[in-house]
Amino acid sequence: MGDLSFVTNWGMFTAILGLAALGGMFSERSGIVNIALEGKMLMAACITALVGGVSGSPILGLSAGLASAVLLSLSHWALTQFYQVDHIVSGMGINLFAYGATNFIALTFIKPEVPNQFLPIPFYFGCLALSIGASWFMFSRMRAGLRLLAVGENPDKARTTGIEPLQVRLWALVLAGILCGLSGSLIVTNSGSFGDNLTAGRGFIALAALILGGWRPLSVALACLAFAAFEAAQIQFQGAPVLGYQLPAAFWKSLPFLITLIAMAGLVGRTKAPSGLGKI
Amino acid sequence: MSIVALEGITQRFGDFVALDNVSLHVQKGDLHAVVGENGAGKTTLMRILYGALSPSSGTVSVRGQQRNYRSSRDAIADRIGMVSQHYAIIPELTCLQNLMLGAEEGAVMNLAACRTRADDLASRMGFSFDWSAKAETLGPAGAQKLEILKLLWRNAEIMILDEPTAMLSPRDADALFESLKKLAQDGATVILVTHRLPEVMDYCQNVTVLRGGKLITHQAVTEVTKPELAELIVGHALTEFPSREVTPTEAVLSVQNFSVIGDRGDEAVKGASFQIGKGELVGLAGVDGNGQRELFHALLGTRGFHGLANLNGEDLAQNSTRDRIEAGVRIIAEDRHDEAIVEDWSLADNAVLGFQRLPSFRAGPGINEAYKAERVQEYITRFNTKCTSAAQPIGSLSGGNQQRFVAARALGESPSLVLAFQPARGLDIDATRAVYQGLREVCERGAGALIVSFDLDELLEFCDRILVINGGLISSPAAKKRAEIGQLMVGAK
Repeated sequence: MGDLSFVTNWGMFTAILGLAALGGMFSERSGIVNIALEGKMLMAACITALVGGVSGSPILGLSAGLASAVLLSLSHWALTQFYQVDHIVSGMGINLFAYGATNFIALTFIKPEVPNQFLPIPFYFGCLALSIGASWFMFSRMRAGLRLLAVGENPDKARTTGIEPLQVRLWALVLAGILCGLSGSLIVTNSGSFGDNLTAGRGFIALAALILGGWRPLSVALACLAFAAFEAAQIQFQGAPVLGYQLPAAFWKSLPFLITLIAMAGLVGRTKAPSGLGKI
Repeated sequence: MSIVALEGITQRFGDFVALDNVSLHVQKGDLHAVVGENGAGKTTLMRILYGALSPSSGTVSVRGQQRNYRSSRDAIADRIGMVSQHYAIIPELTCLQNLMLGAEEGAVMNLAACRTRADDLASRMGFSFDWSAKAETLGPAGAQKLEILKLLWRNAEIMILDEPTAMLSPRDADALFESLKKLAQDGATVILVTHRLPEVMDYCQNVTVLRGGKLITHQAVTEVTKPELAELIVGHALTEFPSREVTPTEAVLSVQNFSVIGDRGDEAVKGASFQIGKGELVGLAGVDGNGQRELFHALLGTRGFHGLANLNGEDLAQNSTRDRIEAGVRIIAEDRHDEAIVEDWSLADNAVLGFQRLPSFRAGPGINEAYKAERVQEYITRFNTKCTSAAQPIGSLSGGNQQRFVAARALGESPSLVLAFQPARGLDIDATRAVYQGLREVCERGAGALIVSFDLDELLEFCDRILVINGGLISSPAAKKRAEIGQLMVGAK
């Protein structure tokens, strides 16, 4: 029984991280640094729970959750592209806004007595598989993918071939919003109800997986698989003695982050970021 | 009938008139040259034809019909293509991706079919490409070829090429013109923006001369000689830059077995040995990316090196950049914005950059303001930098004026070795001559100078001696002979 739950948890975390990381990939490949994955996920988780519960329709709940993440993503586009705010600063702003707003919404509007309505979890696995395949196809075979890569590498040169970087980035961020939204909805579906700071930093782990995977769909998915294994191990071994030693719970909790840090320290610089990342 | 007719084009940018009532008529199947100095308005005129700018007044007609392009997209649809001076190739994408970018054949791309068409176009021109290789593997000549194929991919029949040979070796430039001739025979029309007159005389049928935004003349190339054309461009008679004989007795800089590791971990400069004598202006010829940049930075101290380097008897390996500046090393940097000036700072503050530690510029813990004020005036007047005052931010000057100031600064404070990377970049002919005259003067006072340029003709005209760099190897041609040096530049000898 214990082994089985490890596998389900592993799959669960892979889907959570994978959807978010792929969302981040569309954003960063188009040249927009996306540290706001976390905020978009958190917002989607909260709105999915709220609307799903109030309306009694899981589809409506998910749609509203996705819409909220897309809305945040669009504001990210407006801030970085239109008002030319620094990408990191605007991303952080969105995270803080999402944290505060979801906290407020949860306390004010989400009634514990209203039963939550969620789509079944396998739906999200389907979404993950589909988005890995689709993003691979898009980047290697489609006009839209080629233009997105071009804009992310060099917006000025892309412009001289008749491409509108602002427009390309708009669509990239819409995709990023949808994928982050799916990830956030999955988190709240998995936990059963929304709680304060429910995403617990997974957006940042997804970002690390994105960097570790070198901004390529299949490698990013593999990196998520690896990080997810540590997340699942964390739950599995927390409180259980290892080789006769009782490790503190805090160690297990921090394990995924520790691994992320080590992976980043060892590998960043070996993968190549899109050249136009963060440029206006 | 002209395939392209621009009539009465005027282009204003604020108060500045970039083009004043200029016309241009181009015949179908011609190689038509548009010549003029930097700032004459050549590129602006071409950008209007390409739809990237809409003129303040005047009309654009193509194939006898008046056009009103709202953007380059309209011009491309009208089968006009332009290769700008700075290639639009994105190094991180593959050659095929670059070829298709912006003109893909559908939402989903059939890569096999695209590759076949790409190969067809390439073989028509006599080129060959590894389509799945990253474009960063292309040298300047390969990138230029890819740009031309991009025009063909877009079915362009009117092709505008802005300074296409600026980065090419003489041999690659000749090959380029052979391709262009072939295109013209197949019915394409080529408009060539250039400041290199031999290209005009050898390959073009008609020439339009612009000066200061005005149309000077429009002639068949057979009706004009090269010196006449040069005079039309500059606006006054040009005397030949006096050549001179220098036989240095002492070396300012002497390097032996000098190697520099490049960014990719490879040897960018491989065991070079050469000397620069007192009073000597030495040109370093070569195609861009053959190790010039690394050599330059290693001599300045911003990059490490192996081997021996001696500046007036001092071992450079022991000296930091600061020590070298104190010993008289001066620089006209390649990238003005990144390496030479702080754009938001005034001319006066920029005048101190690099010299802040020199005793003459110091007063206690701070800067000697009186000396600074005196020097900035000297730098401004030296090459006639046009500015309103020394307190003006240098970023508000035109590129050419910034370059004049940067060049003047490098010749100040008694240099012993001037390292100049494309010192004439953005300068007109008169200013170029003035800068080289200035370099000559400091050399006559005992300095030496090493000039990197991608324009071989410039080096042949102004330098006393020429070294050639190719693939990091430096060779010393026996004489200043264009053909021989051109061969050394591509390693064909």
